[in-house]
Amino acid sequence: MSSATILHADLDAFYASVEQMLDPKLKGRPIAVGGGVVLAASYEAKAFGVKGGMPGRQARALCPELHFVTGHFDQYQRLGDAAIGVLNDFTPAVERISIDEAFADVAGCEHLFGSPEAIAARVRQRVRDEVGLPISVGVARTKHLAKIASQVAKPDGLVVVDPATELAFLHDLPVGLMWGVGPATRTRLADVGVATIGQLAAMPGNSLEALLGPAASNKLRALAWNRDERAVESGRRARSIGAQSALGRKPATEAVYRPALLYLADRVASRLRAKSFAARTVTVRVRFADLRAITRSVTLDKPIAATGMLAEVATDLVAVALADHPAEAFISLVAIATSHLEEVSALQLDLPFDLGDERRRPGSKRGAARWLVDRAMDRVRERFGREAVGYAAIALGRAASVPDGFRELAQREL
Amino acid sequence: MRATLERSNLLKALNHVHRVVERRNTIPILSNVLLRAEDGRLRLKATDLDLEVTETVPAEVRAAGGTTVPAYTLYDIVRKLPDGAEVALDTDAEGRTLTVQSGRSHFSLQILPEADFPDLTAGEFAVRFTLAAAQFRALMERTQFAISTEETRYYLNGIYLHIVASGDDKLLRAVATDGHRLAQAQIAAPAGSEAMPGVIVPRKTVGELQKLLESPDAEVTVEVSDTKIRVTEGDIVLTSKLIDGTFPDYVRVIPRGNDKVLKVDRGAFSEAVDRVSTIASERGRAVKLALGEGRMVLTVNNPDSGSATEELGVDFAAEPIEIGFNSKYLLDIGAQLRSGTAVFKLADPGSPTLIQDDDNPDALYVLMPMRV
Repeated sequence: MSSATILHADLDAFYASVEQMLDPKLKGRPIAVGGGVVLAASYEAKAFGVKGGMPGRQARALCPELHFVTGHFDQYQRLGDAAIGVLNDFTPAVERISIDEAFADVAGCEHLFGSPEAIAARVRQRVRDEVGLPISVGVARTKHLAKIASQVAKPDGLVVVDPATELAFLHDLPVGLMWGVGPATRTRLADVGVATIGQLAAMPGNSLEALLGPAASNKLRALAWNRDERAVESGRRARSIGAQSALGRKPATEAVYRPALLYLADRVASRLRAKSFAARTVTVRVRFADLRAITRSVTLDKPIAATGMLAEVATDLVAVALADHPAEAFISLVAIATSHLEEVSALQLDLPFDLGDERRRPGSKRGAARWLVDRAMDRVRERFGREAVGYAAIALGRAASVPDGFRELAQREL
Repeated sequence: MRATLERSNLLKALNHVHRVVERRNTIPILSNVLLRAEDGRLRLKATDLDLEVTETVPAEVRAAGGTTVPAYTLYDIVRKLPDGAEVALDTDAEGRTLTVQSGRSHFSLQILPEADFPDLTAGEFAVRFTLAAAQFRALMERTQFAISTEETRYYLNGIYLHIVASGDDKLLRAVATDGHRLAQAQIAAPAGSEAMPGVIVPRKTVGELQKLLESPDAEVTVEVSDTKIRVTEGDIVLTSKLIDGTFPDYVRVIPRGNDKVLKVDRGAFSEAVDRVSTIASERGRAVKLALGEGRMVLTVNNPDSGSATEELGVDFAAEPIEIGFNSKYLLDIGAQLRSGTAVFKLADPGSPTLIQDDDNPDALYVLMPMRV
């Protein structure tokens, strides 16, 4: 059996911790970043049940002393980079998965820096000293277990899982800690009496498959037995590019989601184009007021990278998703993710057949015109900044409940 | 059923028919080949429900009858038998197995009843004409590469075979397009074909026909109905469903007034395109053609690996133009042209370009540029 060399490092309550660091008066107090919606909560606030995504009013009801701060969005990226950058001083095998967490594989680094446990302890100390933020680290034999270990270590802790006793460690934990188990799956498992990872591991194959479908059940069973072959991939090429927007509690109407999606499409499509990618699959996610989320996706005949086309496809998908859930009157988040990315450096034009299916074809006359507009806009933005030029519909239709700075950060890969 | 025949005859026929059989089938009998022995012949038939191929070979028939056995298994068995061997095929009395006997080799194969085997051949064929196999092959060969694979545009997933009037003459024309390029080839309409309805022959059928029509000197009989096409060459009969759809009005995308005429040595051009596109990492990266008085400069830029440039002397006297094309598409068309000199008729970097042989008006290619 291989040894435990994979680290998962995760900054604790990142946004809230940054605020407490920048303003020492906030230290030890329950704070929330945001206003209309809680974007992030400190551990002190979480103790009262305050959670990210919660409406501000509800959070205040749970925790009357809750202090709201608007957020230093300009600082988050810099501090996140600085903290994750510490890992690079120990190993080149660092895979960052979001602004505030990363995997690192320290196999072969022991003779330089000591045991994985010693390295993890030094990482924590250095992030505390140099960046001023608490970071929790899990150390295990697989990525999945390392991530679970860091969650167990929180707040501000270190957990090393000995390969000899890893199943005993894993099987006592709640299923909700597993990758791929969200609120919906957790509820379904709870309905059949499965609360711990051990109970899930012991479930007969057929009943698990009947409950969750073949793909999800195979994946979860493997993870429950700590079978996770994924390696830490540094410099990994993006397999998907996406962005999400928290909306607060808004009516599920086109007037709400269309501008939000156009805004996201602008972000996602310009990132696609910056990397010379076009996407064949578009996925949207809609979260309702009760935080249940649904996704819808479509795979297109030709990969797309134009803002307008991505927005149209996403808007159609959200309309379908909402039509399937007519009882849901409010939405709290929309997201766009693009995948099946193909390298496209030039646009192949279509013969002008006028076949009536040209709305989603990047090479159609309209698609080509959009591509030229987007490219021109990309060049202006490159030179004069993102705000220099944009789609009027986005500039005018921007929903005001979430600060722009947070939107920028919320564009984590989905 | 009891029949004996030469291994080479059986192998040749199986080689033709077994390709139609899909490797994975939900309906078990579609994995089988039908064998029917009677009147001194063995008839073999395979189908995927859209396409059916039969071939008849001489055999010594001791008891007439028919059955079906797994096609790939029988093909593999016969393939491995020694050259010059005799093969005896026998069904047992209970109708459960077929025995394949050759020399000291003995195989017993499970069978399914002949009566369950689907039949595509029923129906009337209103149009019937005959032409040289080489001509028919050429029509398909010159257009096949442009067939679309997009499932949503199913009506482009084949070759559109139809009759057009040209002055007092009628032409049999084949057209295929994938939305980016279009290929057209034509011959004088064979006697009897004039009343043929326009039909779309599916891609798989086109591929099989290419392989079946091996001998260039043979005569081919083509029969067409509104829903099917049947092609007969000697002992081989291919019957296929047609694509049920409307082929778009392709004439509108063929440019008529392009006045920038370029003449270039076909071989030298294809080689230059091939060389500069070496630098391209992705499939079908754009090659930029910069045309000026008497010269063409080909350029490929790949930000990840570098760039490539090559200059060619050409016959060009129009206003200078820069235009980008998918390098793979240029190579595909270069491979289809026949004459030493290729003629390009261009308009602008956003409009269709016409490409032809300089001495053959019967085939033409239309290519849409890339925006670079």
